[in-house]
Amino acid sequence: MKVRRIALLLAAAAVLEFFVGGSPHRRLLPVDWFLLATATVARSGNFVRAVLTGAAGGFLEDALSQPLLGVNAFAKAVIGYALTIVSVRVVFGGALAVGAALAAASLANEAIVAVLGALLLQSPVVVFSRDALWRAAATGVAGGALEAAWNFPWSEWWKRHRLRRLR
Amino acid sequence: MRPPNAHPEIATLNPRRGGAVLVTVLVGCVLILSAQARARSGRGTVLQAWILTVSAPLTHGVSSISRVVWDTVDSAADLLTARSENERLRRDLDTRERELFRLRAEMRQISEERRLALGGSAMPGVVGSVPVLLLEHRSGVHSILIGAGASEGVLPGSPLAVPGGLVGRVVAVGRSVSRAQLLLDASAAAGARIARTGELGVIRGDGRGALVLNNIATTSSVARGDSIESAGIDGIYPRGVPIGRVESVARGSKLFLEVRVAPSADFARLTDVLLLTPSPAAKESPEVSRSAVR
Repeated sequence: MKVRRIALLLAAAAVLEFFVGGSPHRRLLPVDWFLLATATVARSGNFVRAVLTGAAGGFLEDALSQPLLGVNAFAKAVIGYALTIVSVRVVFGGALAVGAALAAASLANEAIVAVLGALLLQSPVVVFSRDALWRAAATGVAGGALEAAWNFPWSEWWKRHRLRRLR
Repeated sequence: MRPPNAHPEIATLNPRRGGAVLVTVLVGCVLILSAQARARSGRGTVLQAWILTVSAPLTHGVSSISRVVWDTVDSAADLLTARSENERLRRDLDTRERELFRLRAEMRQISEERRLALGGSAMPGVVGSVPVLLLEHRSGVHSILIGAGASEGVLPGSPLAVPGGLVGRVVAVGRSVSRAQLLLDASAAAGARIARTGELGVIRGDGRGALVLNNIATTSSVARGDSIESAGIDGIYPRGVPIGRVESVARGSKLFLEVRVAPSADFARLTDVLLLTPSPAAKESPEVSRSAVR
């Protein structure tokens, strides 16, 4: 994946973060857009870019919402590497598997951020709360839907649709 | 996620190089984190303030678009329920309705601001109302981005409230955007007072959306439904702002009761908040404002 495309992905993630986060329905759509951007890059199998995308996205997220800069960057860099390994080494596919992997990655992200927060800020460890589970589910569903849309044979579907209309 | 054969170029990608980059990134993150954790002043805060300032145009732009879009979606949803009754009539008035949607959204915004201003008259030292651009809750951290910064007179430590009650305090200030820590945050704390008995305690967020009132002796007569308000003893929050109502009282493990408090502010529906003047102690001592993040 080209660097320009990665930059576009991160910009889109930031825009979606604000677009949903600024709405009154934000609790319904708590998708981790930066994690989806990292997973998209990891899907191409490039370790270096996945790690750097995760770090950059996480850093941006930290600057906007976290008391410490670097916690999400740390978590997403690790997750970027792990997702690339899964993408390259493990033979599996389909929207369900991708959704499950992303939900697990979202929970792992929460856990790493919570542990780092506890170590550095002495704040209580809050892992796997209802919010975290809801965010993981939303991220998994969004990732699975994107995977399904990506693999869907749109051109064939369009041809069939046109033929049906002509008849 | 694809099988290895699906990407022929993968063979040319080196996981070892990726590992080396990962280790470098992680070491960098750890260095940045430890620098912030050690000093909690200077570079970390300045860097965050700088990033907030740089991202302000994007934040404001996307946020205002988001508001307009969501308001229109809401209006459309309201409308769909009545559409079956007067479909033909609505087709004729389509052009006018589009204008009406926009006006409705504007009116909703104005009435929300008016409601805040009316409620704010009971609050001490209200500076003005500011829009909430982003609400984030993750791993016990509950924070918001507000659309006001140093250029609007926001200072670190400025308390935030809604007519319902106390919301939190500003912790990082950019030029036109600031970040605030909510009372629900697992690291947030404020001096609180039981309005009926006058007993003082410390209210803390539990990181899961509720509040816990600490340091209330087992001899206290606190009961379910008692009103909790800010005590003004922490040098940060003004006195007498509602915080919540006692939800349950249980015997703690030691000398103190375990008092759970339901927040009176509706944190799920924050769209605008009132900015209050920071207390003189917070203005004079930047350490007081920094301690909020710990």
